[in-house]
Amino acid sequence: MNGVARVLVVEDTPTQAQLARALLVGLGHEVEVAETAGAALVAARDWRPDAILLDIELPDFNGMELMQRLRAEGIDVPVVVVTANASINAAVEAMRAGAVDFIVKPYAKARLAVTLGNALEKQALAAQLASVKARLDRGQFFGFIGACAPMQAVYRTIESVAASKASVFITGESGTGKELAAEAVHRASPRAGRNFVALNCGAIPRDLLESEVFGHVRGAFTGASADREGAAKLADGGTLFLDEIGEMPLDMQVKLLRFVQTGTFSPVGSSRLERVDVRFVCATNRDPMLEVQAGRFREDLYYRLYVVPVELPPLRGRGEDVLLIARHFLAQFAREEGRGFHGFSPPAEQALGQYGWPGNVRQLQNVVRNIVVLHDGDRVELDMIPRAVRRPDGAEGDRAEAAPPSAAGPAPGLVPAATAARVVRPAAEAAEAAEEEMAEIVPLALMERRLILAALRHTGQDVPRAAALLEINPSTIYRKLQSWRAEGLLPTG
Amino acid sequence: MGDNGFAAQLAEDLSKEDLRLVLSVFRTDVQRLTDTMAGAATAEDGTAFRRAAHGLAGAAGAVGAARLEAACRTAMAEAGPLGALLADIRARAEAALGDVTRVLTRLDGRG
Repeated sequence: MNGVARVLVVEDTPTQAQLARALLVGLGHEVEVAETAGAALVAARDWRPDAILLDIELPDFNGMELMQRLRAEGIDVPVVVVTANASINAAVEAMRAGAVDFIVKPYAKARLAVTLGNALEKQALAAQLASVKARLDRGQFFGFIGACAPMQAVYRTIESVAASKASVFITGESGTGKELAAEAVHRASPRAGRNFVALNCGAIPRDLLESEVFGHVRGAFTGASADREGAAKLADGGTLFLDEIGEMPLDMQVKLLRFVQTGTFSPVGSSRLERVDVRFVCATNRDPMLEVQAGRFREDLYYRLYVVPVELPPLRGRGEDVLLIARHFLAQFAREEGRGFHGFSPPAEQALGQYGWPGNVRQLQNVVRNIVVLHDGDRVELDMIPRAVRRPDGAEGDRAEAAPPSAAGPAPGLVPAATAARVVRPAAEAAEAAEEEMAEIVPLALMERRLILAALRHTGQDVPRAAALLEINPSTIYRKLQSWRAEGLLPTG
Repeated sequence: MGDNGFAAQLAEDLSKEDLRLVLSVFRTDVQRLTDTMAGAATAEDGTAFRRAAHGLAGAAGAVGAARLEAACRTAMAEAGPLGALLADIRARAEAALGDVTRVLTRLDGRG
């Protein structure tokens, strides 16, 4: 038997209790003795034994009832029943009642060791199985919501690779949570206590990318008035996440390759080599091999970075996850917005489940926020869902109307309010008006005015909230209002 | 102890101190439980008699005092005169305690 276990001996005869204690201590275990079933129950609650050695006949109530009470209290501990030859039947009955094994008196130390060892091992295996099952069935993982099989595979890959330093290459459509996956790799790794530095290669001007990655020294270029550390240095000991890696210019890819190969780099304007310990995680929404074949991505860099691929499934392939995620966002946004929503009506759930979600989780997040901002109630009804999403045929044809978010937006779960409103109609009235007027072509300025005024009406003239819904700066609304008043398009005052 | 095989096993499994402690507890149990049985026999309290017999059977079984254990189990199962049952148990208990004394003496002799 390996390791020290805590064994509770439930025995009212002092000789037997003393013998069991001596043998168990001799086997290296910790021992407590309870002389009554009541005392055993208290010890099981307070001392949390790993196993119980139980005599059936006890002064207050018997061992069978004790096992029942333990089970009723959720105390899952293996019980070995100690019995005399004469009461084998009772032992069998006890096993039917949940004991894992029985041992016949008088017993030798070796027999006790084997019986107890088996019981503890069985318990450990059961715990391991429960843990594996929990892992396989888990609905959440480092910020991800989702229990479908493809996501379980993602969780397992992330978990398996986290402990190593191997580079991870995340692919997936926009809005599937690539940055969340990169963060999960970092947070599950031994590097979790150090920096996670994310850099969006597609959002940084080409001329600045090298400086952003490697830093620069004072005077390296016009405007470089002081030394500045880059992402590589900031991520030392931690994780460097290069998002939209496919957007990186080829000349920069050469420098990155050298950095990946040697762990060293020179800040812009310096010949001094710096060495760092960085774990690389990259992401793209393109097919990296196609990019290599098209000559837009260096093959040598591809093979350096594409060590452990993680492919995030699109939301349309995640089955019931759509509803899990929608409910999660509904609870979150209802709390944030002070709404009473507790769930979706069955038709609303059906509509969400049937939609194609071209913008993936980010789009679903935005749609739910839209609903919460524009409505209130106990549950979300079908007519609260934006019309484009309600269409059962809706993937491709709905893209424009349902307004999937841009690829460059932040990862699901990290979307600021303004971004989250990307897909949101400014107000119910505005949405209806806009849909009704689709056939009518009106000047853009007029449409803009209608939408802004509708958003203001909906929010009770709350300019910051209306601005958030319209995803514009509040100052834009103030400026427009001033201008419209000046032009006599609005009443003054 | 009427079952030298198990006594030898105990001597092998336990340290000298532990064995001495277990046998000393057994001696106390025998004394206490036979006294209880004697009181129960005098009072003709069959229930208390059998409860004490059960305890003594357990103690005897633990140290391998097989004959004493068997006598106790007979007393638990039979509805005979308590005095006669007690007499048999006492005789077996004396024998078992004699065995215990011999084992302890041997232990002391070994230092």
